[in-house]
Amino acid sequence: MEQAGVGDRWRPPRGRHRLPPEVVARSQRERLLEAAIRVVAAKGYGPMTVGDLTKEAGVSRTTFYELFEDKEACFLAAYDNAVDALVRRVTRAYESEDAWPDRAAAGLAALLETLAEEPALAKLSLVDIGNAGPAAQRRYRAAIQRLTPLFEEGRDFAPGGRNLPANTSRMAIGGVTGLLSDELVAGRAERLPALLSDVLFATLVPYIGPDAAAREVDRLKR
Amino acid sequence: MNLSGLIEKEHLPSGREDLAEPLVAHSQRERILVAMAEACARKGYNATTIADICEPAGVSRATFYELFKDKEDCFHAAMEVSLADAMGRVVSVYSPDKPWATMVRDAAAEFLDLLASRPAFARMALVEAPASGERAFELYASGKRVLQSLLDRGRDDPVEEEAIPSSAGRAALSGAESLIVGQILAGNAERLRELLPDIVYITTVPYLGQEEALRQSRQAEKLLEAEGPLSPPGG
Repeated sequence: MEQAGVGDRWRPPRGRHRLPPEVVARSQRERLLEAAIRVVAAKGYGPMTVGDLTKEAGVSRTTFYELFEDKEACFLAAYDNAVDALVRRVTRAYESEDAWPDRAAAGLAALLETLAEEPALAKLSLVDIGNAGPAAQRRYRAAIQRLTPLFEEGRDFAPGGRNLPANTSRMAIGGVTGLLSDELVAGRAERLPALLSDVLFATLVPYIGPDAAAREVDRLKR
Repeated sequence: MNLSGLIEKEHLPSGREDLAEPLVAHSQRERILVAMAEACARKGYNATTIADICEPAGVSRATFYELFKDKEDCFHAAMEVSLADAMGRVVSVYSPDKPWATMVRDAAAEFLDLLASRPAFARMALVEAPASGERAFELYASGKRVLQSLLDRGRDDPVEEEAIPSSAGRAALSGAESLIVGQILAGNAERLRELLPDIVYITTVPYLGQEEALRQSRQAEKLLEAEGPLSPPGG
């Protein structure tokens, strides 16, 4: 992620201080968001309690309820926050290249690296989110949708792009996220970057076919 | 009557209740399993309580706990029975005489029809099971492996095997799955069959190439048109 690591985030000094209340609240909110990700990663969404969150974040229950209605609201805010940062980083990498296969490779590489750096976040974003009820599932699908434009450009790049099925990009994304979840479920988050060739092939093949996809993967690997 | 037959009858889209026959279960166990699937479809596995299962099943809590250890045990049993039946139906389309692409198309059509006619099972197997504990996940994963092997087994014409990653089939299957789950979550399970041409394309393109995969996809589309709408419009 873009922000500093969890441990070194700035905290307002304890006790009396003259910080404006909104600054304190923002810091408490951010600590709770980070706590939500760590707690869900450690024990799952279902068993997580508000007490776990306040303890992990070092804030009072009163503060928690000033900032969030319940644990679901906190979790969903944490999820949105994490996804925002992830999508920003992937998009920036994607936009740093020109031709679509190169853009896809750069975006996917950034995605895999980010997820590998933050296994807790990775598992939360792709696996645990399904456990957190219908609202979370909708959030997950909305988050995935934000990556659609990056895939949809494959249609303009592909010679016969207009003839491809309407759902091509949704299925391509589903293929990529499927490969990622399989790896995360197996507890191999740190090996995600090694999947680049596989996810790149899964991204390219619906748009340019297997031969061209294999050639591009080969070229981009070098 | 078997469990899948029972699950099949529940929760037709609103406006079609008149088509559903009265639910008759032959044993308490079956009634509980059906109630479990229904409750899950209605409110999700996490939110489902033992009372949500016992009341519609017409059994006491004591009876429930005589038959099942807990909610997870019950969910696992419901999933196990209906999944075995579903996979049996899908695998039955396999024949070594059929061209691979035809087999993939027929299996996909069978699977989509099955999910469309059993919306509670569709939700349980593809939305709830992957997110409802390790045992349920393992069942879900085993079902996926069956479909995966069906995809791989029939492929008698490996094109440049070494250039195509071994994960290509798994990725294609996940792509198809995400489309299906999207349709289920949108409450359009009864229209799942419309996805057939897209699913034929994504599952065949890694092996057959674009031109042939598109041809197969168009053929699937014609097949759907020839068969006419599966459900009454606006149903």
